[in-house]
Amino acid sequence: MSKKLWSLKFNTATLVLIPAAIGINYLGKLFASLLKLPLWLDAIGTCLAAVLGGPIIGAVCGAVNNIIYGLTLDPISTVYALTNIGIGIVVGILAYKGFMKNLKGAILTGIIVGIVAVIISTPLNIYYWGGTTGNVWGDALYAWAVSQNMPMWLASGLDELVVDVPDKLAVVILVFIIQKSLPKNLLNLFHNNEEVESLD
Amino acid sequence: MKSISLYVDKGSWLNKMAPESKIIYIITAITVPALLGIRWAGMGFIVLSIILLLSGKVLKKTLPLLGVSGFVLVTVLIIQGLFWAGNITPLFRIGPAVFYKEGLNFALGILVNVINILLSFCVLILTTKPSDMIENFVRKGFSPRFGYVFISVFQIIPQMTETMNTITDAQRSRGMETEGKLWVRIKAFIPLISPVIMSSLINTKERALALEVRGFNSKNKKTFLNEQVKTSADIYIQIALLLGIAAALIWRITVWLG
Repeated sequence: MSKKLWSLKFNTATLVLIPAAIGINYLGKLFASLLKLPLWLDAIGTCLAAVLGGPIIGAVCGAVNNIIYGLTLDPISTVYALTNIGIGIVVGILAYKGFMKNLKGAILTGIIVGIVAVIISTPLNIYYWGGTTGNVWGDALYAWAVSQNMPMWLASGLDELVVDVPDKLAVVILVFIIQKSLPKNLLNLFHNNEEVESLD
Repeated sequence: MKSISLYVDKGSWLNKMAPESKIIYIITAITVPALLGIRWAGMGFIVLSIILLLSGKVLKKTLPLLGVSGFVLVTVLIIQGLFWAGNITPLFRIGPAVFYKEGLNFALGILVNVINILLSFCVLILTTKPSDMIENFVRKGFSPRFGYVFISVFQIIPQMTETMNTITDAQRSRGMETEGKLWVRIKAFIPLISPVIMSSLINTKERALALEVRGFNSKNKKTFLNEQVKTSADIYIQIALLLGIAAALIWRITVWLG
């Protein structure tokens, strides 16, 4: 089974899922800013694709997503492709292990994904932005931590943590709700491990 | 439909250059200052990018891109100027806030780096049509199936934004509140996003069927709809840029050894 988890063979449906997932990411971000929510909510599509198509599809979604952002609106976000690849892989593995079957598992997944995102993003934040994230709450915490003489990596990690963990938690719970209500024939479309039975 | 790409065709020489040359320019503009470790190198590339953008008649178009990162850059300046760990020398004060020289200097380094990356990317993205760029990659051996994935993102996002507008209008007309307290706005998120997600996932099924009946998985050699974008100067520019990176690399290694 584990071989199928990391399968690099994509059927057409899973390939077409990638642009749709990126569109969902984009809309999540758009709605979040439209409703002035204090979260980004820009990884719904990546997580959904990872749940439906597995870790590789999740990772590809994350990478393509940020490359496209980089080529259109925000060049710096290209390097954060690394974070999104990490998110895709982790959600894909956890969903495969059955974490997304109930709400408790989904909450756990959200927290784990948030922490993974923090671990990958913090070094990038430090290199490109000197440690801040541009989020008001996170940056206020950063300023406080630095004025308490905490080392910069810790201040920056905290800055990212207070933003990322609630954000990813919200995203994963949303994905959990959505995938529960998806019709079965749609879910089967993205299963790479289906065996074709021949009648003759 | 409004495209998400900021590309404009001004018929300038930058429009006619091969996308690869502009990509190598981005790599050069980022790696050379990083290898040299001198702030002036970054500033030099900023000036160079501005000249290129000016000659490509797209300098004004960089403003929305600078706006996206501009806000974060301002917070970087404020926070590092006030709180950076190495702050010793006060430079000036605004009310109760004292800005320090060291922190501002550190923030300036970040500013130069970010603006350099932004402007060098602008040289590519404001003068290159995304689908041309991806077609060029497919010509160079990139998988045409993944090429499709990239190109279709540019088509699907404007479509989905339109669907989103329809859904927002529909939900508002049945009386859903999208403004007010935080909790009201959080509650509004799910009824807004889930119909778009559902419809786009259902669309993927139809899209996949439509692609397969048109031979998407065919192993035959693919042909191209558009002519290749390329000039005779491209190869020389690419070689010059790569030599620049190599020179910076050699300089860095000799500094390490010396």
